[in-house]
Amino acid sequence: MEIAGILAGILQGFRVTALVTLYGMLWAVPFALITGVAQHFTRGAARFAVTCLIEFWRSSPVLILLFVMYYSLPSFGIRLSSMTVAAMALGLNIGGYGSQAVRAALQSLDRGQVEAGRALGLHRLNILVFIELPQAATAMMPTLVNQFIQLVKGTAIVSLITLTDMTFRAKEIAELQYNPVGVYTSLLLAYLIVCYPATLFGRYLERRVHIEQRGNREI
Amino acid sequence: MKFNLDFALSVVPTILTGLFTTLWITVAACLGAAVLGFTFEILRRSNRWLGYVMRFLIDVIRSTPVLVQLYFLYFVMPFYGVTLSAVVVGVVGLSVYYSGYLAEVFKGGIDSVDTGQFEAGKALGLRRRDVVWSIIAPQMLRNVVAPMGNYFVSALKATPYLAVIAVPEMLGIALELGANSFRYAEPMIAVGIIFLILAVGINQLVRMLEKRMLASSKR
Repeated sequence: MEIAGILAGILQGFRVTALVTLYGMLWAVPFALITGVAQHFTRGAARFAVTCLIEFWRSSPVLILLFVMYYSLPSFGIRLSSMTVAAMALGLNIGGYGSQAVRAALQSLDRGQVEAGRALGLHRLNILVFIELPQAATAMMPTLVNQFIQLVKGTAIVSLITLTDMTFRAKEIAELQYNPVGVYTSLLLAYLIVCYPATLFGRYLERRVHIEQRGNREI
Repeated sequence: MKFNLDFALSVVPTILTGLFTTLWITVAACLGAAVLGFTFEILRRSNRWLGYVMRFLIDVIRSTPVLVQLYFLYFVMPFYGVTLSAVVVGVVGLSVYYSGYLAEVFKGGIDSVDTGQFEAGKALGLRRRDVVWSIIAPQMLRNVVAPMGNYFVSALKATPYLAVIAVPEMLGIALELGANSFRYAEPMIAVGIIFLILAVGINQLVRMLEKRMLASSKR
């Protein structure tokens, strides 16, 4: 099989890769928003508890999280599908990273914004939703796009828990025919097709946020 | 099968025999990534066409999963007559993967050095190599320690990936224990807790080193 044929075979796994990414986002975005905002607002013991929760999902290697949940949850009587386990492990891990972007963006806002909201007599929650978060969104966009890329790339590990994503398809094809160069080059190419546009978009956003862009100066 | 605490505790010493492998692979990969990343970034800035090539190379590295890169190195290199042991492939793979990210970190670091410094070096008639090494690199270091530290911790968390190419690090040992005893839950939870403690501990260590370095480099 030529590279094109192999690539077509690998892309049959794109549906699973996309699904895991989508379900992962459904875990990651709410988790990042809720814990990031919670970490920003709480003090003392409550903040410590939130930090511990975030650190648990963020500091554990994602492959370990996946295996622990996949192999151990049934021992405690919790039976979940491979897809759910994969989405949770990847999503909450990425969400943990995302929460730090949310918190950092909220903290970087000018204090005057909140004070102005108070002076206008707005409820604290309204200040958060209508004043702080929209402004923070701009600052956290580049990080969130990068986290999204991390999530897409992270889905490669679901092939290890028998989900038939692009990596799994590639390994299947590699077993059928001895052509490691073709198969693994195609696999790299497949992920490149999916992630490269996002990488470029992330770089574009970064440039927009950092107005003073000097990255291409020759030395 | 119910979770068995005694069995979980009994596998801990065996898993810990892989700790040293995990740690030295992390250190080697960090060094490799730093050297490679700095080289990429300096080459990228050396002239226009090389700049485009390196930019693309860095983006390819950043747009493909580390797991796929490891498979690529592990299965494709022997095809061209380069047969490396799994551990070496692991170190090279992690070095390459993180070099893409460190190149970006160094990009930001170099940008943060005042343009006058380059010009002063040129005006003094220094060679480009001397400007880079004696003027730019030391000043850049202050601005890159924090993000570099993050990626070093991240490299530690990526070592479990090497289990898939049969490197006897901690996850690899845990999986083998699972295969031998037909009980995966206990070894997985044990290795998960070990990694969590390790990652949190090393994270604290890196933060401490960062503070030291930043304190000593204040002018």
